Amino acid sequence: MADDKPKRVTDIGPPHYEKFLPPVIKDNYGKWKYHEILKPGVMVHYGHSGDKLFTVRAASPRLMSIDKMRDFADLADKYCDGYLRFTSRNNVEFLLTDESKIDPLIEDLKALNHPVGGLGNSISNIVHTQGWVHCHSAATDASGIVKAVMDEMYEYFSEMKLPAKIRIALACCLNMCGAVHCSDIAILGIHRRPPRIDHNTLERLCEIPLVTSSCPTAAIRPTTTPEGKKSVEVIEEQCMFCANCYTVCPSMPLNDPLNDGVSIWVGGKVSNARTAPMFSKLAIPFIPNNPPRWPEVTDAIKNIVEVWAANARKYERIGEWINRITYPKFFEMTGIEFQKEHIDDFKFAGLTYHRTAQLVR
Amino acid sequence: MASEVSVQEVADAMYKMIKDAQGMKKFKAGDLTKAMRDVYGDAADRKTCKAAIKELIDSGRCVYTYFGGSFIEIPHDEGAANK
Amino acid sequence: MANLPNTPKLDELTKGPWPSFVSEIKRAAERSDMCKDLLGLLERSYNEKIGHWKHGGIVGVMGYGGGVIGRYTDLPEEFPNISHFHTLRINQPAGWFYTSEALRTLADIWEKHGSGLTNMHGSTGDIIFLGTRTEELEPTFADLTAAGFDLGGSGSDMRTPSACCGKARCEWACYDTMKACYDTTMRYQDELHRPMFPYKWKFKFAGCPNDCVASIARADISVIGTWRDDIKIDQAEVKNYADAGLDIFDDVVLNCPGKCMKWDGNTLEIDNDYCRHCMHCINVMPKALAPGDKRGATVLIGAKAPIIEGALLSSVVIPFIDIDEEYEEFCDIIERMQDIWSEEGKNRERVGEFIQRVGMGNFFEAAEIDLIPEMVTHPRENPYIFFEDYYEEGDEEEEEE
Repeated sequence: MADDKPKRVTDIGPPHYEKFLPPVIKDNYGKWKYHEILKPGVMVHYGHSGDKLFTVRAASPRLMSIDKMRDFADLADKYCDGYLRFTSRNNVEFLLTDESKIDPLIEDLKALNHPVGGLGNSISNIVHTQGWVHCHSAATDASGIVKAVMDEMYEYFSEMKLPAKIRIALACCLNMCGAVHCSDIAILGIHRRPPRIDHNTLERLCEIPLVTSSCPTAAIRPTTTPEGKKSVEVIEEQCMFCANCYTVCPSMPLNDPLNDGVSIWVGGKVSNARTAPMFSKLAIPFIPNNPPRWPEVTDAIKNIVEVWAANARKYERIGEWINRITYPKFFEMTGIEFQKEHIDDFKFAGLTYHRTAQLVR
Repeated sequence: MASEVSVQEVADAMYKMIKDAQGMKKFKAGDLTKAMRDVYGDAADRKTCKAAIKELIDSGRCVYTYFGGSFIEIPHDEGAANK
Repeated sequence: MANLPNTPKLDELTKGPWPSFVSEIKRAAERSDMCKDLLGLLERSYNEKIGHWKHGGIVGVMGYGGGVIGRYTDLPEEFPNISHFHTLRINQPAGWFYTSEALRTLADIWEKHGSGLTNMHGSTGDIIFLGTRTEELEPTFADLTAAGFDLGGSGSDMRTPSACCGKARCEWACYDTMKACYDTTMRYQDELHRPMFPYKWKFKFAGCPNDCVASIARADISVIGTWRDDIKIDQAEVKNYADAGLDIFDDVVLNCPGKCMKWDGNTLEIDNDYCRHCMHCINVMPKALAPGDKRGATVLIGAKAPIIEGALLSSVVIPFIDIDEEYEEFCDIIERMQDIWSEEGKNRERVGEFIQRVGMGNFFEAAEIDLIPEMVTHPRENPYIFFEDYYEEGDEEEEEE
């Protein structure tokens, strides 16, 4: 029956990366010697061959129009024979061999409102999720907070005046498409109201055993409504607002304008440098959504960054700094209030209790 | 040795299983594979089951669906779709 | 000229020094009615403090179970142009390198078939085409494959692997990350496009312990470059760093986690037997220090975000493998672990959670992987040991024989 149709092409995978590598990279592949950061957002890699590769890193909002894609393509043609790349943190990087073209490129990027920076001891771009632009389970917007925070933190992107790197990440709900849980500062969208159950649609849209088994605290039980509809009920005291039930069943939304907002987490890292990778820890349990600029969130982050910057030792990431000074000091120095929510009560909570008499005064 | 079983036969058995449970239970690829092993033993090995699932999907008799995990279902209108 | 909706709240976000996503949507809206409606919908979310999207779970391209995320607005009467607003994930080239020509090709395809909005890139690393209608999915896919691109993963399948730029532009790359990423992507095309696992299955390839792709936090299989011989030292360059003002004792020696360095003001000594391969000294003095020549990777398993049983970091499976040379062996070990999880894992159970449930010892034993001290931070602290055998009276004699 499919004989007369043209054959569909499938399973070809991505294009091979070699097609996109500039000659200087092909020539020096695996043969780089060392690199230097020349100024904010600009670095040079030296090959054993003596070749030099210059990289200019610029910010991007991640959410980009195809027009901007074409702008970047034009700049790549103008300055680097058409070769460019993106980074794991959504920056765009132009790859040049002609040092004299660096400054004109930076001027052109500035004219397009794309600041250059994010290298070395700076705040790089914020890794983030879709938020209200595209997600059904978002407890907050993503792009909007990122824009507001980076407007505020701009000087730390475009200059290198911090003691160490800061990696900020945002996820608009606990699903963490942005896996923010190991960031120096994480902004995490959070729900605070148990799911509202739509008994009229649940039986049709959801598979009840799947819904009950989705709850990590066993707070969801099957039930039959007075009208005889098969549905579920939620033991509200047992709900910790993970929204896993909503992921498997659209009839259980947790989204709620009054109760949704963001939490702030600190001290995570993924790099193995000096100390082992660490999870981020809760700093501020809840800040209400306040679009378009979330001033309470930007203030909180600015405060943490500036207290850290003023007190940390060279190369000390936020988590390393806090581990040295201890958390009581962190709360004291930042003026953040310690609340019941800071004390873990999920699995293995006891491991986070302070089990030594070693305390700072 | 276990007896032979064709990909088409396994695909048909899978289809029946999906159809019989429609509206009550959704199956993942792994659920179907395990169920076939219970019926046909080693003859329905992983490779045969994979081919059977591919046959169901490529023929359009079944589609992949997603609700917090990927399932294999008979095509139907999407609950959330705007008509 | 486009007649854009009135969006005073969003307009606020066109101001300021950071590049604005609102300006991007507005620019795309000059030609796309979808983007006009998106602006209106987003302004409404900003006013109401709630999102206006519904789940979607059936749409896709023929034969694939991943790569398309269905999305519908819950306000289709007011915003009919985004009644459907599905996303396509497109497998990025390893290391995220492009030519201007490739970018223009992608832009042209998306201008023809969708909203004109993209993410460069999504969290897992794919190129994201944001927003189109169901009937445009197949034509988009056809144009993409004609241009040499394919969809990435979603749902319970192998997700699109990603890699740092590795040997292409980094002297610290301890193996060929982009090659490993590409080879893995190609080897498992079936697993990537046809969901067959309990839940997602992610690979990330980082060239050195700095882990620029966050593999240890975000990938089920984290491959992190490392080396086994001595750190290379150019003492003259060390001295140059010191002369230029670097405090080698405070900034380098004191930060060494293995406490294996000495600095007498002239010479830097490293007791490499106790080096933990953390990268700090090399990061600080890239011109003076470098990873050794015996390079390879540490393979770790099990990282994930909190849903459902709590967040996990990956933990060690293989302390060192020369993955460039022993790629088949790497795949063989991965497949043994993948098969056990695939067979026994519960719906939505990531491999890290599965390992916690069945026990790491049991898991590795079943996968025929040697149990070694590198797998734990320290041995157990509790005495609740599941001894697997015990003797009956008289067993001792038999043992003697």
